[in-house]
Amino acid sequence: MSEEKNTPESTKYETFTQEEYMVMKDDLLRPLGKIGKVGKIWIAFLTAVFLAGVFAYYLQESRGKYVTTGLRDYTTWGVYISNFLFLVALSLSSVFMSAILKLTNFQWYRPIARIADVISLSSITMAGICIMISMGRPDRLHHLLIYGRIQSPIIWDIIVVATYFVTCVLVLFIALIPSLSTCKNHLKNLPKWQLKMYEFLSFGWEGTAEQWKILKKIIFILTILVIPLGIALRTVSAWLFSTTLRPEWDSTNFGAYFVAGSALITVAVMIIAVYAFRKVYKLEKYLTEMHFDKMGRTMVLMGLIYAYFNINEYLVPAYKMSGLHANHLLNLFIGEDALFYWSVVFFGIAVPIISPLFKKMRKPLPLSIIALAVLIAGWFKFYLIVIPGQSHPLLPIQDIPASWAHYTPSLVEMTIVAATIAGTMLIVTLFSRYFPIISVWEVAEGKLEGKEEIINYK
Amino acid sequence: MILFSMANTFAQDKEAKITLTFEKADSLYVCKALVTSEGIPVIEVPVNLSVKRLFSKLPIGDAVATDSTGVATFEVPQDIPSRNGKLIIFATIADDENYMNTETSGEVNWGTIVVSDNSNVAERSIAAGRDGAPIYFIISSLLAIGLVWGYLVYAVLQVFKIKRLGSLNKN
Repeated sequence: MSEEKNTPESTKYETFTQEEYMVMKDDLLRPLGKIGKVGKIWIAFLTAVFLAGVFAYYLQESRGKYVTTGLRDYTTWGVYISNFLFLVALSLSSVFMSAILKLTNFQWYRPIARIADVISLSSITMAGICIMISMGRPDRLHHLLIYGRIQSPIIWDIIVVATYFVTCVLVLFIALIPSLSTCKNHLKNLPKWQLKMYEFLSFGWEGTAEQWKILKKIIFILTILVIPLGIALRTVSAWLFSTTLRPEWDSTNFGAYFVAGSALITVAVMIIAVYAFRKVYKLEKYLTEMHFDKMGRTMVLMGLIYAYFNINEYLVPAYKMSGLHANHLLNLFIGEDALFYWSVVFFGIAVPIISPLFKKMRKPLPLSIIALAVLIAGWFKFYLIVIPGQSHPLLPIQDIPASWAHYTPSLVEMTIVAATIAGTMLIVTLFSRYFPIISVWEVAEGKLEGKEEIINYK
Repeated sequence: MILFSMANTFAQDKEAKITLTFEKADSLYVCKALVTSEGIPVIEVPVNLSVKRLFSKLPIGDAVATDSTGVATFEVPQDIPSRNGKLIIFATIADDENYMNTETSGEVNWGTIVVSDNSNVAERSIAAGRDGAPIYFIISSLLAIGLVWGYLVYAVLQVFKIKRLGSLNKN
């Protein structure tokens, strides 16, 4: 009986030879070669959008926010803050699509974990920039530290964003150390500076048993740490709203509601990213249809959880329809923003719950199209949480022009928002051009089913 | 047409003067605003009364038109808060058809003194300033931040340990 049990393990081990490992290394390190024409055009496009955003920011700060943005006394938190929430949601990819899967021993995490970690790092970087962009006086950023009150959610947010950023850097680069050593040993036809970079960042990795032991220990604790940190990051960004006295945000459900939304959005962004890398870098052998099937199922589960929190967030206050909530809720359900709201509910909640239930819809292309719809709806959902909520303050503002009650983002604001999205994609793209986007050693370890022999594969 | 525009242009040319008097009538506080123009009382001119607050003026009731003696009479509420009991009352003529905008003010001891209990201002609380955060709050925050950053620093040090082990292995 015990022999039978051991057979599959040994079979698998024996079939994964050094030769096969070399083939795998070739496959996974191939994208690090020369950048093709399409790749150059894509990078140039993203850089151009990003630079357009830098110029728009220059205009905003040199001419003033009153002239260049749609922000007024009613809507003081505009599209920058809703975009910040969206980017923070994306930054939880490392939590939902890497750390939790690792700790719960879902082996299919192996080829997708690093993609999730890169998305987390790039989006938390841009989210941090978003906070600075939305500040009235960015030159006083350091005042947050000098004069900030530890009791204020704004300070909690600054602390948790900075901490999460550093954690994302460590999660990504520490797990990368053996892969960089592989790059250094395996890739020869690269510019000198690139090889030197691999040498420097591989921190003298020799793959000794002791080095592996230390590395595994750090990765394990960082994997555990990133989960509560990510949840804290998301919850604090929800508390920025729910600790204020505005009726639309006055909800004890907000933290969990935001975390659930992030879980769904991270699945969506991962589906799109995995689809893109699979196609562009021809990684079909590693990013298989099985991954899309699993992510499709995950999307249904996350969609259901998100729907549950949406019911709590909207339908419970709607049942009571108290005076304070009525303005806002009726505006969303049957008022000016109804079409907008129901489109977001349809594409952002109904579609991800229902569509992937069908097997055909869990194939790479259909699932990626669904994920794109979910992602776009997710962006607009945050817009709907932030902006209409400010139109009905507890104490109406007196003696202001009627036009100030309505907010429309200006061209400058939308250019900057587009730049932050482009910046996120640019970081992910550049990373995948200079570092292996699939972790060679983690995939190899999976083939060996966690056997210690991984140290022999260099 | 020309006459009409001239009439409009010069309509508000006349200057008016307001004189405020304060008196107690029975249990009521009464403020009288006498409006004169070139020494002659002006009738049926709306006068607005307001009281100075911290940032702006708070209107006291609606505008009252002057009577046949040129006096607009107001009853001033008796519960207007004040730090020292003094109120600065303003009488204003604004946007009148015949008279230019004018304003006058007077001080009167009709305010209700508000005693603020500030005994808890120095106490530590969530609502207090930077230096007044509750001790438990500071300790728990620093503990959480310290634990997380402590581990992050430890992780970085471990990376350098990996480097050291690598160079030892080479030698």
